[in-house]
Amino acid sequence: MYRWVDHTAEVELAIEAATEEEVFAEALAGLAELLDVEGEGLERRRIAVGAPDRPALLAAWLDELVFAAESEGFVPVALESLELSARGVTATVAGRLGDPPPLVKAVTYHRLAFEPCTSGYRATVVLDV
Amino acid sequence: MSELAIARVDQELWEIPSSARSDMRVPARVFADPELLAAIEQDRSLEQLVNVATLPGIVEAALAMPDIHQGYGFPVGGVAATEAPDGVVSPGGVGYDINCGVRLLALPLDDAELGERREALVNEISRRVPVGAGGKGSRRGLVGAKLERVLEEGPRALYEELGIGSEQELHLTESQGRLDGARPGSVSPRARERGAGQLGTLGSGNHFLELQRVDGVYEPEAARAFGLRQGQVALLIHSGSRGLGHQVCTDFVKRMDAALSRHGIELPDRQLSCAPLDSPEGADYLGAMAAAANFAWANRAAIAHRAREAIAQVLGPDAARDTHQVYDVAHNVAKLERHHGRQLCVHRKGATRAFPPGHLDLPAEYRGVGQPAFIPGSMGTASFVLAGRPGAMERSFGTTCHGAGRRLSRTAVRKQVEGAELRRRLEGQGIVVRAPSARGLAEEAPEAYKDVGRVVEVVERAGLAARVVRLRPIGVLKG
Repeated sequence: MYRWVDHTAEVELAIEAATEEEVFAEALAGLAELLDVEGEGLERRRIAVGAPDRPALLAAWLDELVFAAESEGFVPVALESLELSARGVTATVAGRLGDPPPLVKAVTYHRLAFEPCTSGYRATVVLDV
Repeated sequence: MSELAIARVDQELWEIPSSARSDMRVPARVFADPELLAAIEQDRSLEQLVNVATLPGIVEAALAMPDIHQGYGFPVGGVAATEAPDGVVSPGGVGYDINCGVRLLALPLDDAELGERREALVNEISRRVPVGAGGKGSRRGLVGAKLERVLEEGPRALYEELGIGSEQELHLTESQGRLDGARPGSVSPRARERGAGQLGTLGSGNHFLELQRVDGVYEPEAARAFGLRQGQVALLIHSGSRGLGHQVCTDFVKRMDAALSRHGIELPDRQLSCAPLDSPEGADYLGAMAAAANFAWANRAAIAHRAREAIAQVLGPDAARDTHQVYDVAHNVAKLERHHGRQLCVHRKGATRAFPPGHLDLPAEYRGVGQPAFIPGSMGTASFVLAGRPGAMERSFGTTCHGAGRRLSRTAVRKQVEGAELRRRLEGQGIVVRAPSARGLAEEAPEAYKDVGRVVEVVERAGLAARVVRLRPIGVLKG
């Protein structure tokens, strides 16, 4: 599950999930909520990013989705597959092409976290809006 | 709520000593009055300022203007000077929107003369200046300029290639709209892709274009020098480097984060990611940031050009010709400047350069009165034109505030204010409102911001800048 944490100027996404893969899926769902567009039919995008550690990988994942939204109007709707390795994530994302609101400027490293917890994993990422 | 002990130094200055946390290298200082400080203590602003005080090479103090609020890494309203060549430069200390800033145009007529054409003018500007950033919006941007030359030379490229702007506008722009040392080659292909179609677009969030009227003159001599008079109509443009700047920051936060251990740097927050000014990463960032800053000045020049076209359409070609640019200032940038006999890299994150009278970097027209700085309030309240004062050189590395400063989160303000109701309220105050979404409008409601009047009174009493004129909005185009 994900939730939005109050932040004076930006948007903070807090995630808890049973597995690491689900953290990435929840992050996608959170971004999809922000960028929500109406439309018919689904497009698919293959996304592959790498980073030296899990928190940076989560930031890179969201950053790639923000870039797809800004550069081609691709808004994620669902995660069809996701493979996680030590320093990379590869996924197929279904989404719609539209004119999403330009809400998210960037994915920051501020208080960036991705760590084990009693229920599995928890993560925090602050988006610059 | 901050638990850091902060002590009053004088009427407008508060300090957290460097002994407050073991990793602080210098004190953290905040310009504020008791009421503003109480608001500042409600979020993580002071913790973020203390984090800034840990940066290698930081000198004197990590400073905050009275409009400080919680950001990411640096607080918004933060100022940090690091000493070259060993001190660091931090992309997060500039922010994602590199050279976000404000340009003020003064129209050659009064509000009374504008009369009922006000709505038509706002509508025409709204038709000509694209707002949003993403998807199809990105392809509505101004095309034709050679991006490479814009990155190198800023708005001069638009002037010489497309006839946009004028020599006088370049002259009346901070740093003449061009930071030296731009390295277009350090701007990534992805940053170029994001920015190429966005020149001349406003963006989102708190970006706006406001039609205003001068409703108070505090310093007549400075107002005359700036070409402003009571009742006059003015146009305030708030935008930045768009996706290009966002991507430059993203690229270098990552790159410097990966090089921290090589430089032996430990940080309390990864967003403070930084590198020594003379390191390959530091030099590359300064070059890419300068290129993005030049892009931002060109962006505001292109927006101003489109606004001038709207003025010509609605008010006639003479009104467009006689509309003059007062100045254009950056409020997210890092610049190499001399202060107190030292060569420093001054990070201004949500803070405005405010050089005093006599400073040689000012255009001759303003050297007698000080540099103009523009302080937007919010959609329903006043904005101010300030002029830099000597205290800024003594106390804040030549810097003043940049706005009112947020008080409430976007979620909190949406719980209090509904977009359609806010629109009715503003229109009831005689303000024409054009906004792409009711939600976005609500998030920027006046309730979300501190009292801008109180903020500028603090910087005036602190001797950083003086009020020259007050502006009231009569039309708002929200990004």
